[in-house]
Amino acid sequence: MDRRSFLKFLLLSALLPWEQGLASGRPDLVIAKGPPEEALTAALEALGGMGRFISRGDVVLVKPNMSWDRPPRFAANTNPEVVAAVVKLCLDAGARKVKVFDHSCDDPRRVYRRSGIMQAAKGAGAEVYYVEPGRFRRVRIGGEVLKEWEVYGDALEVDKIVNVPVLKHHSLARLTMGMKNLMGLIGGRRAQLHWQLSEALADLAAFFRPQLVVLDATRVLTAGGPQGGSLNYVKEMNTVVVGTDQVAVDACGARLFGLDPEEVGCIPAAHRRGLGEMDLRRVRIKRLDGQRI
Amino acid sequence: MGKGFNWFRWRPFIQGAFLLLFFLLFLQTTYRGRDVIPYPVNLFLRFDPLILLTTLLSTHRLPVVLLPALSVVGLTLLLGRVFCGWICPLGTLNHLLSRLNRRPRTGPGGFRWKYYILFGLLASSLFTVQVVGYLDPLSLLIRSLTLAAEPLWNLAAHSAFSSLYEHGFKVLEPLYAFLRAHLLALRQPLYHQAFAVGVIFAAVLLLNLLRPRFWCTHLCPLGALLGLVAFLSPLSRRVSPEDCDLCGLCQRLCPSGAADSREGLWRKAECFLCGRCQVLCPSRAVAFGFSLGKGEAVEGMDLGRRRVLLSLAAGAVLAPLLRLSSLPTRGREGLIRPPGALPEAEFLRRCVRCGECMKVCLTGGFQPALLEAGLEGIWTPVFDFDLGYCQYYCTLCGQVCPTGAIQELTQAEKAKVKIGLAHIDRSRCIPYSQGVDCIVCEEHCPTPEKAIKFVLGEVVTPKGPRRVKLPVVDLRLCIGCGICQFKCPLEDKPAIVVTPLGETRGGAFLLPT
Repeated sequence: MDRRSFLKFLLLSALLPWEQGLASGRPDLVIAKGPPEEALTAALEALGGMGRFISRGDVVLVKPNMSWDRPPRFAANTNPEVVAAVVKLCLDAGARKVKVFDHSCDDPRRVYRRSGIMQAAKGAGAEVYYVEPGRFRRVRIGGEVLKEWEVYGDALEVDKIVNVPVLKHHSLARLTMGMKNLMGLIGGRRAQLHWQLSEALADLAAFFRPQLVVLDATRVLTAGGPQGGSLNYVKEMNTVVVGTDQVAVDACGARLFGLDPEEVGCIPAAHRRGLGEMDLRRVRIKRLDGQRI
Repeated sequence: MGKGFNWFRWRPFIQGAFLLLFFLLFLQTTYRGRDVIPYPVNLFLRFDPLILLTTLLSTHRLPVVLLPALSVVGLTLLLGRVFCGWICPLGTLNHLLSRLNRRPRTGPGGFRWKYYILFGLLASSLFTVQVVGYLDPLSLLIRSLTLAAEPLWNLAAHSAFSSLYEHGFKVLEPLYAFLRAHLLALRQPLYHQAFAVGVIFAAVLLLNLLRPRFWCTHLCPLGALLGLVAFLSPLSRRVSPEDCDLCGLCQRLCPSGAADSREGLWRKAECFLCGRCQVLCPSRAVAFGFSLGKGEAVEGMDLGRRRVLLSLAAGAVLAPLLRLSSLPTRGREGLIRPPGALPEAEFLRRCVRCGECMKVCLTGGFQPALLEAGLEGIWTPVFDFDLGYCQYYCTLCGQVCPTGAIQELTQAEKAKVKIGLAHIDRSRCIPYSQGVDCIVCEEHCPTPEKAIKFVLGEVVTPKGPRRVKLPVVDLRLCIGCGICQFKCPLEDKPAIVVTPLGETRGGAFLLPT
């Protein structure tokens, strides 16, 4: 790290709510285990409650990974129970409306149904709808790779974004978690991002800055990702990671998977830009799963 | 029947009901959340005796799924062309448009044309060329709605609501949500032949301005077939000479040209049984009924032996002519058929170009062929993987095909059917040509064990050698679904392309090992 970026890092990390966390004794990141809804509720309680992130009257986008035409047991999409629990917590915290959508890779009609997310999220009170091709807007991203790109209009208009990715293997990115999940909010020939994936994902992370990240590691796709298709690749972990620092959450996911965060390109890329902390020793982690990291 | 027969008053309602049923089934011909479509969406086609007969002739086998069509033959044998007048959705559309035509019908013109068309079609199908779909009214209507009318309606609706949305006008959003849920396609349907098919459909509709129900009276081969059957029916139409005052109203009102005010003459094979002559006769002189004799007022059917023979000969010659001009020496690279499609020769004998498979295709990948399948295969379904792909779990096309040209497969069966194989163009593929990771094709490859794998390899680039993930295709596992081609991030010519090489239906293809 050169001096310039170190200074940048110092400056930017000063903007993060370290003080708040320290002052209140609150953790930045919580790892919880158990049935999704209970684990999630406990994790958010430890973080200070959903009310910390969602204000009364907010329109909230809950963004699952809803990409592939695979049922939940294949772990190719976010666990529908996790999505439903997040939706419920947002509404309980006073959100006026919770929207759930994804720019799926497979045909959305099949993905929304077969992932189980549409039914679960609707049941929890969310508005679930398909992405309309005509409603992407070309906007300034101002990133290092992405100067401007097509972004879904609703993702620009909501008050808060709660990113709800699933932890899974990805053949190019090594792992896909929170930052990679943001690709579901953009349009255009987004597959081209693959050519400079780590930097492009850091650009998206800087652009969207979700208020909260809920990483679903209930079932983890350990190989054949991102879409899987064989139960041999699926490992039950019954874990959720919740945090406000999207880089730290992804770094924590990498550790849970058994990788060094450094190995998942977008994590060091985002860390270098000061979007969050990848060194988990510097993150206040609270473990509700009775283990040490 | 006799004078008390007032069923004719119900005709507009029954016509309307069948047209509504037709449109409802058309709208259900799509994925609505269930792997198996719960409605018989190809119902009308399965009641089409013309498709039954020509399929029987062209395949030399009895198409069991089309047997319901015999009921229409039975109906016609009893009551004449009620199918044309009361049931046929294209007939009803023509009927509605004919109302715009205020000019009175003139005398019977080229009524015979349709019989010659019919004989030509029958002869050609006997010689195994199945071209009935171009002129069968139900095929024509479903194809035209699918390829031209629905895309047009979607374009109009989507653009209207999108521009409203862009200008911040969101009051109509609930209406849009309703339309999207029930009446609009998920994504804008696009078809290569939309223009040609649309122009032909418009012409069929506009011909009603030339003569009422021009298509039905002059061109429709199904109408001709039913006309021949109707001629045998015991139906009779009596004009009471005591009551008739020769006002000529019946002749002017008759949409089929079957009624002739001279001596109550009646062209039985032309009559749609619409009943207007009976209902609207000011002196109540007209009555439909049954009689076992030929009936004196029935005009004979004189088609002319020479012309009949000529049309049969024309149909018979069509087969060798079409095939002579397009004898392929190699497989055609653009000819990727639906999963479950029969071997090509057999497929062409069955496909009636109705467009049901294109309507139902989840991704919009099916396109009507132009010359990909030769002259004989125009408008048969072929995949264009630049526009859509074959979704791994989807089996809808086999479910809606009315003739079995595309066999119905289960998901497990389909997962084993190859419709082609993917080939990488290394001169364009980004990892091979630029030494930059990409792997979009591998990521989307849906087979549980990936048919596209990557290997780490060194590539020479302007910046020196680089180690990258190079995609390779495992031909054993590839099923040719085309998602790799569809998703390839190169915007113009994709760097991975699927051709029908190795397709299951083509028989033995030795995979290089």
